[in-house]
Amino acid sequence: MTGMGLYNSLNIYLFIGLALLACGILGVVYRRTLVSMLISIELIMNGAGLNLVAFNRFVAPENAYGMAFTLFIMGIAAAEAAIALAIIILILRRYGHVEGVKLKEMKD
Amino acid sequence: MIFADIIFVIIILITLGGALMTVLSGSIIYALMGLVTTMFGVAGLYIYLNAPFLAMMQILIYVGAITVLIAFAIMLIGPLYKKPKEWSYPLKFILAAVVALFSFFVFAKVILKTQWIVLSTPFAISTKDIGRLLFDRLTFPFELISLLIVVAIIGAVMLSLYSRGEK
Repeated sequence: MTGMGLYNSLNIYLFIGLALLACGILGVVYRRTLVSMLISIELIMNGAGLNLVAFNRFVAPENAYGMAFTLFIMGIAAAEAAIALAIIILILRRYGHVEGVKLKEMKD
Repeated sequence: MIFADIIFVIIILITLGGALMTVLSGSIIYALMGLVTTMFGVAGLYIYLNAPFLAMMQILIYVGAITVLIAFAIMLIGPLYKKPKEWSYPLKFILAAVVALFSFFVFAKVILKTQWIVLSTPFAISTKDIGRLLFDRLTFPFELISLLIVVAIIGAVMLSLYSRGEK
């Protein structure tokens, strides 16, 4: 895919990844329930994977390390989602809610 | 503007719209639908980056596994119409937007100031090369990831068992 298309510039992919990162940060800071925060963290991981593949495509096109590490990011995201959802279900059973603001037992 | 560019812009709009819907929607299940939209958009971007294997893995792992997991967790949490809205007071939203925009502009300046050395050699990495790399050079991280997933599964099972025995 060579040519002068819009999709052949590195900066566009970097800015999309950056927009995903900003949306994820906004969600983590401002959302109330823990599940929404987990969804926002998945957004951040998507942006990181997109950045790695874009750098692999444009800056180092002779090997495939970026793609391999994006696959590793997907595996880590799956493991993290499983653990985090187990903890969220545990919090729901013990306290009856999943709101991050009300979990301040260790703050007192 | 050629045809590929039009589809590329549409995919970018799908991705960014899905991300905004994920963050700004009032209910969790709409946020999850926005996440699915974002993941499909990112899969389209992977296809534009000459990585069709990664696009397939994105759809299979994220849309097929993680989203279903989160959907089950949302169903276990309980009825959504009883919950209050996601936003509590506007000051918190303004502060969160300030934090997000600050990080956005800092990294945007970094991206624009840096001179990336873009090579013009044609990109011809096939799925076979990724598999070769995974089982040749990156065997140790690959095995570590599998160990991490096993530990995560056992940990999730142990967490649910522990809370049940405590009751």
